[in-house]
Amino acid sequence: MAERASSPPMTPIARGHVLLAAAACLLPLLLQLPLALGLGYGLGALVVAAASWRKPLPFWLRLLLGGCGLLAVLAVAPGIGRDSACAVLAAMLALKPAETTSLRDGRSLVGFALFGPFATFLLDQGPLSLLLALAAVLLALLALQRLAADEGEVPDTHAASLVQRPAVVAVLRLFALGLPLALAAFWLFPRLPTPLWGLPERSIAKPGLSDSMTPGGMFDMLLDDSPAARVQFFGAVPAPSQLYWRGPVLWDFDGRTWHQAQALQLFTPAPMQAAGTGWEYQIELEPSETRQLVALDLPTQLPEGARVSLDYTPWADTPQYSVSRWRMHSAPPAVFEADLPAALRERALALPQGYNPRTLALGQQWRREAGHDSHGRSDAAIAQRALSMIEKNFAYTLNVPMAGRNEIDDFLFDRKEGFCEHFSSAFVVLMRAAGIPARVVTGYAGGYRNPVGGYWLVRKSDAHAWSEIWLPKRGWVRVDPTAAVAPERVYDTLADRQPGRIGNFTGLVKVFNTADWLRRGWNDFVLGFNAQRQRDLLKPLGVNSLQPRDLALLFALIAGAALLWMRWLIARGERQRDPLLRAWHALDMRYRKLGRGRHLHEPAQVWATRVAADTPHAGEHLSTLAARVAAARYAPALSRDALHQLLRDLRRHRP
Amino acid sequence: MLAGLRQRLQRWMRPRGPEVLPVQLDRHRIYVLPTASGLFFGLLLGTMLLGALNFNNNPALLLALLLAGTALASLIAAHMQLSGLRMDAVSAEPVAAGEDLQLRIALSTADARVRRGLCIRLADRFTHTRLDANGTTVALALATTQRGLLPLPRVELRTVQPLGLARAWGYAWPAQALLVYPAPETQAPPLPQAEGGQGHPQLARSGEDPHHLRGYRPGDAPRTVAWKASARRNNLLVREYELPRGGELKLDWQHTHGLPYEQRIRRLARWVDDAEREGRRYALNLPAALPIPYGNGAQHRHLCLRALALLPTEARRG
Repeated sequence: MAERASSPPMTPIARGHVLLAAAACLLPLLLQLPLALGLGYGLGALVVAAASWRKPLPFWLRLLLGGCGLLAVLAVAPGIGRDSACAVLAAMLALKPAETTSLRDGRSLVGFALFGPFATFLLDQGPLSLLLALAAVLLALLALQRLAADEGEVPDTHAASLVQRPAVVAVLRLFALGLPLALAAFWLFPRLPTPLWGLPERSIAKPGLSDSMTPGGMFDMLLDDSPAARVQFFGAVPAPSQLYWRGPVLWDFDGRTWHQAQALQLFTPAPMQAAGTGWEYQIELEPSETRQLVALDLPTQLPEGARVSLDYTPWADTPQYSVSRWRMHSAPPAVFEADLPAALRERALALPQGYNPRTLALGQQWRREAGHDSHGRSDAAIAQRALSMIEKNFAYTLNVPMAGRNEIDDFLFDRKEGFCEHFSSAFVVLMRAAGIPARVVTGYAGGYRNPVGGYWLVRKSDAHAWSEIWLPKRGWVRVDPTAAVAPERVYDTLADRQPGRIGNFTGLVKVFNTADWLRRGWNDFVLGFNAQRQRDLLKPLGVNSLQPRDLALLFALIAGAALLWMRWLIARGERQRDPLLRAWHALDMRYRKLGRGRHLHEPAQVWATRVAADTPHAGEHLSTLAARVAAARYAPALSRDALHQLLRDLRRHRP
Repeated sequence: MLAGLRQRLQRWMRPRGPEVLPVQLDRHRIYVLPTASGLFFGLLLGTMLLGALNFNNNPALLLALLLAGTALASLIAAHMQLSGLRMDAVSAEPVAAGEDLQLRIALSTADARVRRGLCIRLADRFTHTRLDANGTTVALALATTQRGLLPLPRVELRTVQPLGLARAWGYAWPAQALLVYPAPETQAPPLPQAEGGQGHPQLARSGEDPHHLRGYRPGDAPRTVAWKASARRNNLLVREYELPRGGELKLDWQHTHGLPYEQRIRRLARWVDDAEREGRRYALNLPAALPIPYGNGAQHRHLCLRALALLPTEARRG
């Protein structure tokens, strides 16, 4: 069994298989890298594969190319992060074909290439990545099969085409054979409730809600129609104008950018009185890679592992790298922090020195005109005045030029058009100038109800920023200046916001709805599965909490069953195909146990006579049986019933 | 130590002794272990599983598990490649010691499944074959070192199909011995003088003295045609020559008196070959064996060489 020292070279066909598998493994990874890197590596891999088709590239050239690949990573995604590590892996994979000549090289390339889909999943778990990864795995298995066939050195007569159907069928059969065990392990193998080591951050952040907001910065998100959350309501469903999904609350403005008040995040939530019973729902969030969560305005009850801060920003205890599910309760506030502590009030009124003089002047002028009162009527009047001004004179557009120093002045007095960030930011600054405590709230607004699954789909393009002003007795009140201008945009009621709709053509909407519903199911059963969900696995059967020990036991049980099944398959593969011969051999076996089995050279009748010498009755029966078997085997075909009768008699016969 | 362990393992594997052909491989005698690339693959999957579990990355976990499941299934598929395989017969033409026996191993399957990349190994020689429902016969060389009956060693049947991650193997140990003739002596003296030396002349197609002409028979070589004589008559005539051939030759154990034991055998083997080449009739007298009467031809040569091959070794002769 000693391995041969040198591995034989690959045949061109096998090389084609291996390169195809490597390319398929590399592709999903390249799609997740920054465009320049992905494109560069893809082209590089093609060139390397073509150049090294006949003989491996010289060592110095490989070294040089490797250096170039690493430099490219440093240039595009500097720092040590998950994505830069993945980029390095992609570079190595793209270069590996340069030195792949022998069978063993081919095997190791296929092995390494399988890290491609794996790394892809660390960056993205979307359906495209999944499909590509599945294809890559199948191609890798095909390549392994091809390499094994080549080791047999048997010239294959149908080796003309690259991928042959029998080979594909064989691989799919292996895949199906391993599937039950793999699935059992997936659902039952005990999961780690907390990771042993953390996942490295990305070097380049993905667009998403963040702890700061620069007017214009949400632009990328507003064009991204990928899902951000899916929500299933239990019972009452809020009206479209109530669909505000609360994310980071921003307090601090430096003239250009709004920031979250990190210090406030440690305090317990402010007192709040709900108006009405509120809504019970389950929200399923796409991975944000941060601890930030999103909840319907205002969250009143959160599950274990999540909490809200003083300003009702929802947080998870750990960063969310995969789809997470949260069961929450929210209610509209009747009174929300009616007693505003002085420190908070000061913070909610602070404005940077030397910015936006015209806005400040307008705010102060409005305050003078409205006067002061302790009931907040003047405050409400000022807010109303601002809203009506915006409603009358302003327009919604995504087409906004670069911001200048006094961005809010420009927006309020000259440009008079923009999107949610501009509206909320300008409104809050105006309110603060008029002495009304105010803050910016970011998150999502609206949602699309998918009729297929009866749930609400919130997309990244639903990202929104609105304002909250503080009024005496009532506390914080939500004011959405954007909704005053373009309510249909905010509440997602525009017909052309339907997913899958192209212009007036709605034929694809159903397809998209169904696809999203399927994706939700996939999220539910696969992506969002974790230690918590595993514990609750048998809840429908009345088992409240599965302990790791029970899980291990259950897993061992099912794995044992799967192994038994495999053993049965093996035994079945060996058995005689002809039922008649099988029954005849089984009968012989019964005699053999008594030491009276048929000798190899012995005709059946001679054997029957020998048996009859000891036990005349059994021998006689055996003799007729042998004659019948011979007739069934060599005479014209027996009728079905006669054959069954013979089989029954053979099985019943005992020595 | 590792070699010792391997040897003990080898001894433990079935079959533990020679058995009568045909032999069918079944699950009691098929062994499956990962190959080097299988171990590498396992390490890779282990890394993937650990990473996926740690990051609770479900698609990655599922991917690794699917690969692991497939790898496991490939173990079974490797097993199935061998199970039901039957070795029906092994045969080989005898050769002189030192040459390679060209074994012909007849294989068949109990079912119609096609077995690809089947490796048949005997000592350090191996060959690959592909087997379908019709069965096949593979040729494999086996080195020989000494005359006599060479008991067949265990024949290994193995495969790395379908994915090259696992090697399945099983042994067949045919209870069969193959005859190996003694190696003829390379520089032997000429054949001993025929007894009596009065050999009668025989006719042959070539030789020194033309004897007479006869009519052409199909199959006569053109160069034996006597063209001039044929031209005078109207049919083809062929010359026949007279060749003095040696008389009957008695090869006797005693002729080799004074030589070491094995060399005596090798010299006699050489003489048998020489006599056969010269077309003489010869007989062989060996101690403690029935004398082989006069004769020649392949069958006769086989009888003589077989008798020589089966002479007891010197030690046993005692």
